[in-house]
Amino acid sequence: MTEKQPYKVFGQPEFESSTLVVGWSEDAAKLGSKVTDYLNRELGGQEFAEIEPDDFFPLGGVSVENDIAQFPEGKFYHCPGKDLVLFRSHPPRSDWYRFLNSVLDVAEYYCHVKEIYTVGGMVYLGTHTFPRELMALSNSPEMTAVLSQYDLAREIDYESPPGQRPTLNSFLLWAAQRRQLAAASLWVPIPFYLVGAEDPQAWGKVLEFLDERLDLGIDLDAIDEEAARQDKRITILRYNSPEIDSYINKLESGQGLTQDESESLVKAVEEFLRRQY
Amino acid sequence: MSVRIYRKPEVHSPVLIACWPGIGNIGVIAVDTLRGTVKAEEFGEIEPWEFFYPSKVVIRNGVLKDLVFPASKFYYAKTDETDLIFFIGEEQPTEAGRTYAEGEKAYRMANLVLDVAIEYGCRRVYTSGAAVAPIHHTTRPKVWVVPNSENLVSELKTYRNTVLMSDIEGRRGQGSITGLNGLLLGVAKKRGLEAVCVMGEIPIYLQGFPFPYPQASRSVLEVMTSALHIETEMEGIDEMVAKSETEINRLYEHFPSEMREQLDRLKYVAHDEPAEPGPITEEDKQKILDDIDKFFKKEPRED
Repeated sequence: MTEKQPYKVFGQPEFESSTLVVGWSEDAAKLGSKVTDYLNRELGGQEFAEIEPDDFFPLGGVSVENDIAQFPEGKFYHCPGKDLVLFRSHPPRSDWYRFLNSVLDVAEYYCHVKEIYTVGGMVYLGTHTFPRELMALSNSPEMTAVLSQYDLAREIDYESPPGQRPTLNSFLLWAAQRRQLAAASLWVPIPFYLVGAEDPQAWGKVLEFLDERLDLGIDLDAIDEEAARQDKRITILRYNSPEIDSYINKLESGQGLTQDESESLVKAVEEFLRRQY
Repeated sequence: MSVRIYRKPEVHSPVLIACWPGIGNIGVIAVDTLRGTVKAEEFGEIEPWEFFYPSKVVIRNGVLKDLVFPASKFYYAKTDETDLIFFIGEEQPTEAGRTYAEGEKAYRMANLVLDVAIEYGCRRVYTSGAAVAPIHHTTRPKVWVVPNSENLVSELKTYRNTVLMSDIEGRRGQGSITGLNGLLLGVAKKRGLEAVCVMGEIPIYLQGFPFPYPQASRSVLEVMTSALHIETEMEGIDEMVAKSETEINRLYEHFPSEMREQLDRLKYVAHDEPAEPGPITEEDKQKILDDIDKFFKKEPRED
């Protein structure tokens, strides 16, 4: 008896070779989903395959976020005229290895993917007034050579501490490595008080790299404008709230915050930005 | 496993109203009342044997005559404004030991229901269930509405006596809907259908009781009929409400007096409005909820 295939391919995009960009929909500052959504919109992405959710998610109902019922999805898009495949997905809740291999099966067998980029945000204890940095990890010397041509932070030494599991992006890089598929994960440190909100500067940083690396020719003006608008909103918040201003001032001058101060800052920024959107 | 269609309904762009049993049978009572009001006719069913354990056996003269399974039936009706397809499940297809549908069976059933809806041109789905809330049984239950698309929010805001998740104090728009009444919203989203779950409020202290709560069904019915522009007689459900009120009041008298005093304070809880100084503080409310939880050893949830 053959095992049920956990993915469905319903389009036939033709690729000689392509690049896969992976974004998860539960990510710091919505980085993964915003990047893939922006690329989809700018490049006219068309859905052509999906991972079926029943093997990887509990499906005991739905969660509600911002008033709207959510449903786990893992969808592939191709962008006409570009050798680019996008995969936007909720992170699976179980059977991760099979899920990631399903992603790689579609990428390898249907799209002839030669290069993979994952996108992720990480928590940063600094402020939004510092420029965002793009960090990259690779799964092979070949990929490291590719990344060395760009202005990226690459000298990263890290071991996940006891009790903290590796990220899904690391798992995907490893699974790709076993297939000799070159992959890199792109990371942007997100100021901690924007992790639960949005960070257009971070989105822009990733998109800028992908645009350059993959020669996409996308217009990033809308992202720049969004980043400027958000900076302005936070400036208004600082102006209206001396307490919040003092916390950000402390961070800017390299001082830490107490836990209560950090929590107040997070709550105030998230609530203020939510009201503004 | 398949869907059996006995006769093809003649419907045009119908709205699907689907429901499975849950807390207080709130959704099923509302949907079944509406089905009766519009005189919907049965036209198909989902074959049950791969989803359910039998609910009844019939033996005559030592010979097994019949094995009855929980029904999952489709009905249709045409009204002046809208054509309707109803789906009513007598049970949720559960895994061992669980109350609500989950996993592959639930996903398969949700897809079978939507297969039929899509086959007949449906674009909009309603499901219904319960919202467990810190309210008193003498207050009129509100209806929590959860859409599966941002596009529906402005329409839902025009429905009377309803609240969105973000209107509920402390929720910040977050929550969950357990079981198939929730899952169908998600599967509808995946398949490109707009859907709304309408959940009638049930007092937190009644959620574990094995009897229906038609007060909330009545609120749900008002919302659905208004949204679908259907006029309906409320006499039947009003009789159920009157009977239920008598039963609950009788039960309430048996609660310890100290607990009754605590619960009476829920009459003053406005959980769907921003906190304001009033006859009950947040701390009081939490204490009431903690005491209720301790008393009934239940966790608050929606279904």
